[in-house]
Order: sequence, then structure tokens, then C-alpha cells
Amino acid sequence: MAQIFPKWTNKAPLYAAVGAGLTLVVVVGLVWYYASPWYTDVGYRPAQPVPYSHKVHVRDLGLDCRFCHTGVETSPVAGLPPTKTCMNCHNMVKADSDKLALVRESFKNGTPLEWVRVHKSPDYVYFDHSAHINVGVGCASCHGNVAEMDVVAQHKPLSMGWCLDCHRNPDDHIRPASEVTNMTWTPPTNQAEFAAKQKELLDIKAPITDCTGCHR
Amino acid sequence: MSNAINPSAQGKTYWRSLDHLAETPEFKELVEKEFPDGADELKNPVSRRKFLSLMGASMALAGLTSCRRPVEKIIPYVVKPEEIIPGKPQYYATNMPFGTESFGLLVESHEGRPTKIEGNKNHPASGGSSNVFMQAEMLNLYDPDRSQMVLNQGKNSSWNAYRSAWKKIAETYTENGGEGMAILSESFASPTMMRLSEAFMKKFPQARWVTYDSVSDENIFSGVQAATGQLAQPRYNFKEANIVLSLDSDFLQMDSNDIPNARDFASRRKVRSEKDSMNRLYVVEGTYTITGGMADHRLRVQNGQIGMFAAALAHELSAQGLDIKAPRVNADFDKKWITVLARDLIHNKGKSLVVGGRRQPAEVHTLIALINEVLSNTNKTVSYTANPDMQASSLKSFMNLNKAMKEGKIESLIILGGNPVYQAPADVDFAAGLKKVNYSVHLSSHVDETSANTTWHIPEAHFLESWGDVSGYGGAGIIQPLIAPLFDGKSDIDVLADLVSDEEVWAYGVVQETWTGILGAAGFEKAWRKVVHDGFLTSTRETPVAMNKSRAQGVVSMSRYYSSTVSGNEMEVIFTASFSNFDGRYANNGWMQELPDPVTKVTWDNVALLSANTAKQLGVKNEDRLKVSTSGVDVVLPVWIQPGMADNTLALELGYGREIGRVSTGVGANVGVLRYASGMNIASGFTAEKALGTHTLACVQDHHGFDEEKLAADAIQERLPAIVRESTLSDYQKDPEFAMAFAEKNELKGMWKEHDYGEGNQWGMSIDLTSCTGCSACTIACQSENNIPIIGKDEVSNGRDMSWIRLDRYYTGDVEDPEMVFQPIACQHCEMAPCEGVCPVAATTHSEEGLNEMAYNRCIGTRYCANNCPYKVRRFNFFNYTKDVPEIVEMAMNPDVSIRFRGVMEKCTFCVQRINVAKIEVKNEGRGLEDGDIVVACQQACPTDAIAFGNINDPNSEVSKVKAQNRDYALLGELNLQPRTSYGAKLRNPNPDLEAEHHAAEHTA
Repeated sequence: MAQIFPKWTNKAPLYAAVGAGLTLVVVVGLVWYYASPWYTDVGYRPAQPVPYSHKVHVRDLGLDCRFCHTGVETSPVAGLPPTKTCMNCHNMVKADSDKLALVRESFKNGTPLEWVRVHKSPDYVYFDHSAHINVGVGCASCHGNVAEMDVVAQHKPLSMGWCLDCHRNPDDHIRPASEVTNMTWTPPTNQAEFAAKQKELLDIKAPITDCTGCHR
Repeated sequence: MSNAINPSAQGKTYWRSLDHLAETPEFKELVEKEFPDGADELKNPVSRRKFLSLMGASMALAGLTSCRRPVEKIIPYVVKPEEIIPGKPQYYATNMPFGTESFGLLVESHEGRPTKIEGNKNHPASGGSSNVFMQAEMLNLYDPDRSQMVLNQGKNSSWNAYRSAWKKIAETYTENGGEGMAILSESFASPTMMRLSEAFMKKFPQARWVTYDSVSDENIFSGVQAATGQLAQPRYNFKEANIVLSLDSDFLQMDSNDIPNARDFASRRKVRSEKDSMNRLYVVEGTYTITGGMADHRLRVQNGQIGMFAAALAHELSAQGLDIKAPRVNADFDKKWITVLARDLIHNKGKSLVVGGRRQPAEVHTLIALINEVLSNTNKTVSYTANPDMQASSLKSFMNLNKAMKEGKIESLIILGGNPVYQAPADVDFAAGLKKVNYSVHLSSHVDETSANTTWHIPEAHFLESWGDVSGYGGAGIIQPLIAPLFDGKSDIDVLADLVSDEEVWAYGVVQETWTGILGAAGFEKAWRKVVHDGFLTSTRETPVAMNKSRAQGVVSMSRYYSSTVSGNEMEVIFTASFSNFDGRYANNGWMQELPDPVTKVTWDNVALLSANTAKQLGVKNEDRLKVSTSGVDVVLPVWIQPGMADNTLALELGYGREIGRVSTGVGANVGVLRYASGMNIASGFTAEKALGTHTLACVQDHHGFDEEKLAADAIQERLPAIVRESTLSDYQKDPEFAMAFAEKNELKGMWKEHDYGEGNQWGMSIDLTSCTGCSACTIACQSENNIPIIGKDEVSNGRDMSWIRLDRYYTGDVEDPEMVFQPIACQHCEMAPCEGVCPVAATTHSEEGLNEMAYNRCIGTRYCANNCPYKVRRFNFFNYTKDVPEIVEMAMNPDVSIRFRGVMEKCTFCVQRINVAKIEVKNEGRGLEDGDIVVACQQACPTDAIAFGNINDPNSEVSKVKAQNRDYALLGELNLQPRTSYGAKLRNPNPDLEAEHHAAEHTA
């Protein structure tokens, strides 16, 4: 009697199963990455109404983060500078530049500038900047090296898992107060020791990992 | 306004639908028409495929573009005000005028908009506490139905148009001294308003000024005037009173100065151990108020007979040796009660207090003043003061005004606030009178019943939007605005100043001018800033007024009142200020409409309250309709039987039946049409009969309880004494551990491993039932702080009320004459919480600091947690209750708390937002948390300090000390859930001579 099925069909179910399994794993992996903030949010670099360059102001001119983002040590919200902060210099420096036309207009008319927000966590998450700055978490730890950015891009996913990675293991990210705005700081060799001492000095135990720490 | 997303200053966006996400022009075009081109083929069923493909295309476009992040804007200031740190709220002190009284407030403001009202801790009257009216004002400010435009005979106009029209008319009045002009205002106690009114009368000496409130203390003032010879008001010092007798006075809630009175009264009932003493409260009343609920002894007497009771008491006092001549009365009261009461009062001479309610006629108040005088209470527990800045309501002058209007003698009438068409007595047809007035102006917050009949309507600015001042209990204070008028409203000072002065003036300047007089011109700027910062000036502007005993005695002896009142068998009707709406001013306030009346627990409607006997006589039961009529007018109201009410009394609530907005329309019936000038408070000559049909009432008193018929009715009855543990002071002194005795002896093992909570902050709370009056300030404060939605009457009927802290009210004892006890229950934050283990998605967890947490974004709405909670304190959002909330109401929301969506469970969080903010602030400052740094919303609001909250790991904290008391017990403690919230057992202090009766009544329960 003729064989209905060719020989290779013996192995076909096995290959199909393995193939399906692998495909499933690959699909899951792809979704895991591409649907996560690691892909969807990292690298987000929207165009801003005014071509403000952090590279020029921070790296070249040496402005500290807190010169403009004044709320960072006292408030949950770091904030953006009011138009007046820009105009403090730019009513003299490059006072006629085309790039600053919107800024001058804003100052003259009293209508604020509408910047596009880059770093955002969901509305049900209550992030507090001051709590982080005051224990020594550096700006660059979450925002990347902003001093090298012409246009601000999101450097880290700011997802809950990523936050917890640090919250569960903060020692590598605690800096001395003077280094908080240093964009190129790397943890020294004695970081563990330093972190332990710092925690005692500031009387901080572990960072909060309870739900209501951020979700209220 | 474009479709663009408008984020708040913090950059939070709320987008309603996919429509908002992308703003590409092609997409916009696509969705501008509900169905894109070609969709008319929809009518042809064959083209369903085409329709789907069309919609599919638009959805796909939306879908694709929605893979991109929504563009969100951050909008900083142009010039940032120095004192504002975005993200951190600011607190400003101001004052809230309320008739002739006021409350000191501290208002929390987020980025320039007020979000939460608290009491000003430093203000002598409030001490940081609130009452329901203070909290409710937050939503009144952001009422979407508030009037937004100046109207001229119904058509949109402007403030300038009003001013120029007035200028023309004012010329004639300047010449003839104001003949034919009248101002009708609400009562006030304000230095600036008084100065302006005096200036007005000086400029227009022939004009008349009338003050009228539908609910006022007029009777009290008249009574005191008869006793002292001057217009004066009583000021009580409950702190000094060992014995308090309330004659129809709801001094703990509805009568004036409830906050300082409640606080002082409760301060004498704080029992820390069996060595402490308590004051004693006797209440004589016809309805059941929360003051009656706090009573150690309560006597049910018809309201119209309470004056007789006072006379009978005066008789007894005289018989026991005091120098008072009481009028003869022919009434029959519990002889023993009066004798024991009189003995108790005399025994505590100089340390007792008799208080009368505002509904009682002036004659009774004179008698009360006399009784206080012979008991040596004057200038000890009660004193009389004259407030030079006060203008009190006068029904008589209002009636005269109306008569003049009808006779055509009034050509111009300016109505500053209030609502005379709605609030006038039934024999005054104010609207008809208005027709005879050529030029009328109504300054009002809504285009209401009166504004519909006046020439001009000016939108009234809320006190949170205006400059002004107040003068009263605790001193004088400034009203400063927290936000610029949302709708270009004007305050009464704005309008009055405009009448008085020839140029345009600003209220700020006017108030400053008044205060230059008060503070002195030298160093004014500094003194002014201090008063604005503090909110008040402690030096009172009131002057003491002496009691004139012989005068009072003379008035009482000659009064015909005591021989002429109604007998106890005739039906009396009383008109009460509504707990929810007061005189109608909160009718459009959803929080207040939904807040259950503390005693009846009815929401959203007004009812005809009557006793069980009276109901039987009339043949009605709960939710039947009752037609109440007098003089050819009738009103139909649903019936509600109130245990403990006097027989043959019908209590009707004012303030309902208004149609000024989406909340008020269709709610309740206006009983003002039955309220004639001869019986504004207590009236007779009414008939009541059953009307057809029933009216469903949304009453929450049986919600969250088990169905007694089906489940273990007996077991529940057995348990109730253990849920609300009550005793008397004398029994407590004999058996200090009585509260523990209720606990069942069998201890359950824990369901899971116990966690060690020995380290760090551990939050706990204790609520003292002896101090809790049931005022419900905690409930509404919680609603304001935590963005709890309003759900409407239907949903409340379904048992879905959303308040995180519910105030259970239990009656105990005799069915006709029960006692009442309140127990506020919020999430108990059990250490072994039964709700946490059953959540399939771990949306509810336990924090390291002992809080039972709720992560709204994880919740999928299984509701197993609510099922498992034995206290039934979890609330589920069955619908998207915030879907149709107008944008302006969103401004009232607290940005520190998430707004919950449909399908999400919520519950008390121990105000975790306040805990977190305090912890971060304190850590930033480099110090440790101290007791009192964190005050939760309910604790802050409570006028009697019944709620203690803090760190139970700190042995010196207030809450640890309270929990260590022997009266402290855990609710349902036998379940071994180890709740963090505990209760202090309720104690009453009955008189041992009357106690035998009291006990007998209890045991028949």
C-alpha cells in the first residue's frame, strides 16, 4: 500500500511544535521590548517651539540645572523656567536673534511659552523630585547626560520596573550633594562604603517600595 | 476653545477619548463629521460593509497615530510670582461670613486656585476645625450654575452699563435724600459693611435699610434685648459649665457658633481615665437633633411647649429657693425630671448654663436670660455682648418694606444677596411687590427666583473671591480672596461702595480704609499685613452688655406668652433650617445634598418628620406622602418617622424645592409657602393628611448592614452592644475595664504570618465616641480632600454611597424615646486585613507603615475585597461618576489624589497624600517627624477633637496615649484582624437621681 504521507511528515509535528514555541517566545520577547517604555519612550525627542539647546547653555556656558529648574530641591515638580529667566540674559545677549522671537513675544504679550513635555509618568503616579535630589540621586541618573543634548530626548524608560530597580538597590546611585548636577559623574570604587555612610548621615533607610509611595 | 489638550500647570492631561489624542489635520477632518463622506449609505443595509470600512479607516488612523505618545505641554509662567513654588500648595487665612457670625479659615491653594478649606488653627472660634457648611463652600465656589453675567431684564449686560444706568437714577436721589430708595440686605457682622451702610444712610437719609434672613437669631436678640435693654447677643462659655440645659438649642450643630460651642462642650467630656469628670447635658426638644443625641437626659416636649417648660422650671427654681418669679403655666411636665434638673442646676450655681434655640420666641429667651441670672451664670458661662458691626435680621422691617413696595412707595430697591422671593414669609408676595418697583437690582450668586423679577441682576462674588471683613466671636478678621472672581462677580462691598461713592472704587481700598480706622494710620502697612496674614485680630470689637435682672423679671412677669400658647394636643409644625441646604444656599451643592442628615440619614430630599405615634394617627408610614396644608396652601412631602420626636409635631426642612441649577432641580419641596409671618418657626393651624402614592427616599441608615431577616438577626442584636460600647460615668468609675469585658474570649489565630511592625512610623487612629457628636464634618472634609464623587439619588438608593467615612447612627433603648449614638467608620487598616489576600491582582497591599494601600490602576473590579471586609468600608465606582463633571468643578479637586475611574475600588487611605507630603518635607528639612506634623482630613475637621491620629510606635504621641486608655477597644476585635483604628467607648453622665428611669428604659431595648 502506498504511503499517504511522505517520510518527512514524521518529524513535522515536532518541528511545528518547536517552531511554534520558538515563534511564541520570539513574539513575546518582541512585545516585551517593543511594547515597553524601553522602546516606546526612550529616545522620545519632540520638537520644541523654541530651539533651546542644553548643550549650549549647560555644557558650554556652565549653567547649573537648578538655575532654571528651581523647584527641584523643594517641590515634587522640577518645573520649567518662566520666560523672565530667559529674558534676564536674552534682553542683552542675542537680543535680536530670530530663534528667540517667540521668547520675546511671550515676554511682551504675557502669554507663556508652550513647551512639549518629554519626561512623563502616568497621572496616577506621584513622583517627587525633592525627595530624590535631597538624598543624592543625580539628575543624570534619570535624565541622562542632558548637557550633551541639543534637543532634549528621553534617556530612560521611567517605567515602574526601572524605578524599582533603583529603589530596591539604591546604593550605586547615591551621590554626594555637590555631585547631583554633575552630568559625567560615575560611582567611585568605594561607592558602597560611601553610600552606607551617606545613608547614616542623612538618616535615610531604604527608599520606599510600598505602593502608596507613588500611587495615591 | 480648540480641541487641544489643556494641561494644568503641572502638565497633567486628561483626554476624554481617542479623538483628542492625535491632532493631525487629516484626522481632525475625518472626525469632525460624525460619519465621514459616503456614510449616508448607512441607511442602506447592504452598505454595512462600507460603513465598517469607513469607520475602520478612521479608527485605524486613530489607532496608528495613537501609537505615538500624546503630545503634552508644559506651560510655565511668564513672570513667576516669587512666593509660588509650582507643585507645593500655599495656605492663606481668610474668614467666612455666615449670617451674623463668621468662621476663621485656612484655605489650601494649588497654583492659584483654592482646593480645600480648613479651620484656622489660631482663630479662637474655630481652633482649626470645620463644620459642614465651611467644607461645602468649596463646591459653592466652583458651582457651574453660578451666574456669569450681569443681566438687564434677562438680557446680557455689563457692570459698566449697570453703573451708568445707576448714575442717572442716583441724581434724583442725591437731591431728595434718597426718598423712595431702599436697600435689602442679608444680616452681616462686618466693619466695612457697617461703615458703608452708615455712609449710605448719611448720604441718603430718607432711604431705608432693611435686613432680612429667613433663618436668623432674631428671636434670641429680641429676647436678650428685653433682658438687657440693648441689642446684644449671648456668648457662651461651655468650658466652665458643669451642667448644660438646652431648650430646643442645637448648639452642637445648627445654632450659631456651633464650632467653638461644640469644642468647648466636648472639652468637658474628655475622659482619659476613671478619675476624670464629665459635664452633664439635659436637652428638652421636640425634634431629634445631634445635641439631643449627646444628651445625658432628654425630654421630649413639643416645641411650642418648651416655653411652658422653661416657666415650669423657673417655678421649681423658685420653689427651691431662688429669687425668680415665674409666670403661671397650665402644662404638665415630668415633675421628677424638673425637680432633679432644678436641683442639679442650683447645685452648680455659676457653673451651669441654660441655652435656648433660635426657633423659640423672644419671650422664652428673656426667661432663659433670667434663669441664667438667678443661677449666677451671667458673666461666667454666659455673657452678653454688643457687636457694633452687626446688622441683624428684622422680620418686622421686612414686612414694612413689602407693604411700602405694594403701596408703590419704593421706586428703587437694591437687594444685596439673599433671595427674598424664595425666603419671604408666605404672606409676603415679594415678586408682586417687585413689579411695583421701577428699578430693582439683585446681587446674587445664581439667577434665582428673585433675579428673575428684578431689573438688574449682578453676579455675586463668592467670599473666596472677594475682599471684605468680619467681626464676631474671637475678634475681627479680614476676608481675602484666594482667586480672582471666576465670573467677574461683585461682592456686596463692591456694590454698596459704588452706591456711596461717586468714583469707581475697589473693595480692597474700601476695606483698607475701614482698617486704617481700626488699626490706626501709624504703621498701618505692617499691621495690615499682619492681620491679613493671621486672618484675624484678637482684640474684640464687641462691648460687654450688662444683664438687667429687674428688667428681665418685669418683662417675663408681664408677658402674655405663657398663658396663650397652644395646648399639647394640637398639631404643631416647625420649620427647621436644613442640615444640607441651611436656608437654601447649598441647594445646588452636590456634596451637601448627598451628605446624609446625621439623624435621619436621608439624602437628597426633604421629608416631613414625625413621631411613630403621630404617624399611626395619620395612618402613614415611611415614604408615604403627606399633604400638609394651611390657609389654602399645601405641600406634599414624603413621610419619615423619627424615633424620639415629640408627638403631634411635624418638622419641615427649609431650603428645598429650588431650581437654580442641575443639582437643586427636582430635589425636595419648598415648604416656605406654608411659612407665614405669624409662625416663622413654630406654627399651628395646620392639617396633615395622607396623600396618594409613595416617594422613594434615599436613606443610608440601613446600607452596608446585613439583611436581618435572612442572616442571623439575633446574632447581630447580640453583637451590637459590643460594636458600640457604652456605659455611664458612674459605672465606668466602678468598673474601668468595662470596654474590654465585651470582647469575646475565644481568640482566633491569625490567617497568615504576623508582620513585625516594631520599627519606623506605624500609623494608627482612635476615635472617641464620647466626643463624637455626629456633626458629619469629617465626612464632607474627607470628600473634599479625596475627590470623592457625587453619585446622585438613584445610586444612593442602590446602596452605592461613596463616602469613605460613614457615620453610623444607632438608636438604643425605648422605641418612642431612644438614645442616639454615633460611630464614624472608615477603613480600619487592619494588620491582618481580610481584603488584601483575596485580591487576584494584588491591587490592595499593606505598607511597611501599617496602611492598607489601594493601587487604583491595578484594580480590575472583582469586588472580592469589599465582600471580605467585615466593616464594609470599601467603595466601588460602579459607574464613571466623573464623566460629566463640568470643567469648573474639576478645579475643586485635590491634585494630590488620583481621580478614580469606573470599575475601581476605593476606601480611606489615612490621607496617604498628607502622610507622604509630610514625610518628604520633613526629610528634606533634615529632621524627624513629630507628632502633629501629619493631620488627616477627618481629624482636622472634627470640632470636638474626637479623632486622634499618629504614630503608634511613638509612646508620646497623642494617639498612643489615647489607645492606652482603658476605654479604647477595637471594633470586631474578636475577629483578630488587629485594626489600626480603635474606638473610645461612649460614656454618658446621667444624674443618679434620674438614672433609675434611664436604666429601665435601656433594658427594654
